[in-house]
Amino acid sequence: MELIVDDEKRKLQYSGSVSSLLKKLGVMREEVIVKVNGKLAPETAEVGAKDKVEVIKVVFGG
Amino acid sequence: MAHLYYCNRHFCAAHFIRMFDKRFRKTVRKFSMLRKGDRVAVGLSGGKDSTVLLHSLAELKKDLPFELVAITIDEGIRGYRERTLRIAKEECKKLGVEHVVYRFDKEAGKTLDKLVKNTNTKRGAGCGKESCDLPCSQCGVLRRYLLNKGAREVGATKLAMGHNLDDMAQTVMMNIMRNEPSRLARLNEPMVKNARFVTRIRPLMLTPEKENAIYAYLKGIELEHVECPYAHFAFRSHVRKMLNETEERYPGTKFKIVNSFLDMEGALHSHYSKGVKLAECESCGEPAAKDGICMYCRMITSSGAGNRTGGRGKTGKAR
Repeated sequence: MELIVDDEKRKLQYSGSVSSLLKKLGVMREEVIVKVNGKLAPETAEVGAKDKVEVIKVVFGG
Repeated sequence: MAHLYYCNRHFCAAHFIRMFDKRFRKTVRKFSMLRKGDRVAVGLSGGKDSTVLLHSLAELKKDLPFELVAITIDEGIRGYRERTLRIAKEECKKLGVEHVVYRFDKEAGKTLDKLVKNTNTKRGAGCGKESCDLPCSQCGVLRRYLLNKGAREVGATKLAMGHNLDDMAQTVMMNIMRNEPSRLARLNEPMVKNARFVTRIRPLMLTPEKENAIYAYLKGIELEHVECPYAHFAFRSHVRKMLNETEERYPGTKFKIVNSFLDMEGALHSHYSKGVKLAECESCGEPAAKDGICMYCRMITSSGAGNRTGGRGKTGKAR
């Protein structure tokens, strides 16, 4: 799976829900939106080896 | 497209937008936020919340007769404010909304960076003590003062703020945790009515912050992914983290906190407003809590700024 977090790309061996992926990354779902293959996806979506997942932080202080 | 845990529902893009717009209008109606003929000044930082607010009000304006003007406060925070200011200007131009900018250095004599430098608080270094809230305390006082003053100067009858559900829940919790319930009493309404206070409205106060981001994304509103460099100083950051962790475990918590506050608000206001009187600041003439000097004038005097300009702001131009 191709994973982009904070504009940094990497490969990750993962298969499961977006929600579990966020927990694995230590990211709070309340603070991010997730795109799967270029489209906004809910945390209940399932992702796997062929997917491109982008985690975008949207909650900031200020 | 989106799953909202607090109501356990999935939404496609079209239905999410419909839900969002409906809730926005319902909030405006339920709390009687707007009246026919109002001139609404939007506090527009260029961040996602205030930009979504501007778009939503511009949409609502098609059905209700009110005027819209945007006010941006430029604190002069290097590497941060210039990025969101660009978005603010572009969105106002796109929507055909009058835009006025008030700058800290013109109004208060110094940018926030310089004001903070004077108080020996370094950027990027949170000390964990309450005194490290100082940049946010200074910024908050100056920003609120200028927004109110600016709203009056543009002839606004209402000042619309982009505070969302998360902001509201954080503020409620912060004031409880700091044993300052009197601050909650004046969250939505001043303790004493004064002609110099422009009524504040918060149409997004029942909208979760993340949903503002989703809405902005779906509507093609540009998002600037940048955090205020002073944000980590704030106690609010700690409370935000705590609430987000709780919301993940117990969806709906933020709504419950805010709805509890709204239930208590009347009683709090009634209790804490007894005997409260406002003085007039000897320096600027704005309302002051005590001693005849308002917090704004105290802060800029103690920081050694004190170089303030008068005059009126012009559309799209800094004062």
